[in-house]
Amino acid sequence: MANFHVEKPVASRGQQTARVARDIRGGGMNRDRWKTIASVLARQGILVAFALFLIGFSIFSDRFLSPENILSVMRSSAIIGVMALGVTVVVIGGNLDLSVGSMLSFSTVLVVDLHDKIGPAPAIGVMLVATLALGAVNGLLVGVARLNSLIVTLGMLSAIQGLTLIYSGGKNVDIVNQDQTWFKIFGRGTIADIPTPIVIFAVGAILLHLMMAYTPFGRRIYATGGNATAAVFSGVRRSRVVFLTYLISASGVAIAAIILGSRVMGSQNNVGQGYELQVLAGVILGGTSLLGGAGTIWKTVIGVLILGFIQNGLLLMGFEYYVQWLVTWVVIILAVWLDIAAKRGRLLSPIA
Amino acid sequence: MKRSMKALVAGTTAVATLAFAGGAWAEQMKIGITQNNVGVDSYQTTYEKAFKEAAAANPDVDAVVLDAGGDVARQIAQIQDLVQQNVQAIIVWPTNGKAVVPAVKKAHDAGIPVIITNSNIAEQGMPFIAAFSGPNNIEQGKEAADMMCTGLNGKGDIVQISGKPGYTTAIERQKGFEDELAKACPDVKIMDTQPGDWNREKSQRVMEDFLVKYPQIDGVYAADDNMGVGALNAAKAAGRAKDIKFVGATNFAVGYEAMKKGEYYGSVYQSPIDDAKNALQTAIDVIQGKDVPKMNYFKTPQITEKNMDQFEKPAF
Repeated sequence: MANFHVEKPVASRGQQTARVARDIRGGGMNRDRWKTIASVLARQGILVAFALFLIGFSIFSDRFLSPENILSVMRSSAIIGVMALGVTVVVIGGNLDLSVGSMLSFSTVLVVDLHDKIGPAPAIGVMLVATLALGAVNGLLVGVARLNSLIVTLGMLSAIQGLTLIYSGGKNVDIVNQDQTWFKIFGRGTIADIPTPIVIFAVGAILLHLMMAYTPFGRRIYATGGNATAAVFSGVRRSRVVFLTYLISASGVAIAAIILGSRVMGSQNNVGQGYELQVLAGVILGGTSLLGGAGTIWKTVIGVLILGFIQNGLLLMGFEYYVQWLVTWVVIILAVWLDIAAKRGRLLSPIA
Repeated sequence: MKRSMKALVAGTTAVATLAFAGGAWAEQMKIGITQNNVGVDSYQTTYEKAFKEAAAANPDVDAVVLDAGGDVARQIAQIQDLVQQNVQAIIVWPTNGKAVVPAVKKAHDAGIPVIITNSNIAEQGMPFIAAFSGPNNIEQGKEAADMMCTGLNGKGDIVQISGKPGYTTAIERQKGFEDELAKACPDVKIMDTQPGDWNREKSQRVMEDFLVKYPQIDGVYAADDNMGVGALNAAKAAGRAKDIKFVGATNFAVGYEAMKKGEYYGSVYQSPIDDAKNALQTAIDVIQGKDVPKMNYFKTPQITEKNMDQFEKPAF
């Protein structure tokens, strides 16, 4: 044990010396190119991890990389994915949203229940308004009243669960004419031979990516999450920005509810239970900083897909479920570690 | 050992006394019930409604109906309250089979008989209860295995989608199914088992993965119809539903509908109304000193396309 601790810094110091020496001697073309590749890899550690998992699983299961499996995993990841996109925006803005799980239950129960009562289009409209209203409550409490987002959304998690139970009276809701309604397009249909959930997920990711990367509003969200005080002094209206991030998150939940309701053609009161943690895991896997101010939308997409493919790959390899839980944990740690290690260029932190 | 024997004797005597008292003077039997988590699912909601109706219909019964809201601490407090109120019997739907044992023991020591309903108390609590009233989940697993065997003519490869890991109901149904299948139908093989967590969407996801993994699946056993219909959804989307026999348990309205359409082979009919009535009747019988079997199961018959017209469509 003691040896290990003593040896490590020495070894890394040795590496450093070698690196310096190499730099002094000056690198040729090859070395420069290698360096560029290395620095690109360093920035995209999570992508490397993703590729490694895909290769690893495909060695053990010949069906893993079949087009039907890939489409199937992406389709079922889309629900978590669409929610994760919205939550990424909230997290970049410096807050958390843990209420998305029970919000998903609420919205799905609402849209499925109203489908048979007032028709699909009005049902979607009412559900959208109700879900945005819940998002607005989060937004007002966190953005305007400046309460701690962890506490607010954790409270909302159970409050909305209660709301769902009051609304449904504890009953499951179902859509009776599953084959006739056009509502089935969202969860079961295809657009140009691609399952609709994947299309929705992709379009949502592109739109939010454009918003975050290229619009002043996106930059305001980064600024608010990075340093709220500095942002306010630079003229950013912090309350409004935070409020809007929660509306974006709620919209993500509403869209996920439409996909889920259409896919299952029914809903239970606890259908979204625990989804908030999967969503958050996807966001963190994508490298978005929980402290706010840093992160990208498309890496969240990768994070969500990693989670989906791990669960699918382990099942295809025939692991028992409890082994799956453990392996999922190991893979998440490895992915995050690889990401950080690639950024700092070594496995362990140089600072003790 | 000695003390528990003493408690048992004391308890039994108290029960006998109470039973005598009940028969002799009291016109009304005061029965308290603390339920698990009403409103969380259709089954429990229907159960509570049926229990209240059955209690109201019986002029000899005065029922105190409580709900623990899924909270163990609240349930323990409710059991203590009922003891204080001096009810003649307490019916408990345990929020947690282990955690309620001390409270149940206290009620038992106070001379109030405890009836456990729907899902049983842990083994160490068994000496303190007068009776268990509920479905026999091992038996339900067996019945599902028999239906699967008949449906596949004794030969085929199947997958199993179990309930939430750790739930007694999930464990018992799985055990009953696997044991009976191995015994009565050795040529039907279970290729894979994964939990669906009582969640239709989760079950649908698991089935999608199964469909990718196994080019040939002859049957699916799901630990309840809610998950069974999720699996059916996945198979339909993959265009393979016609080649697969679906067998579930706890017949849900969606399962009933799918059965009517010929898409769903069989299930086990478990009515929350029967469950509630059986619990109340067990409590009444215990108070009146009748001979009640310790494990007082109510009937949960098989339901298939052939006999489904004898059953009402489930309310959940």
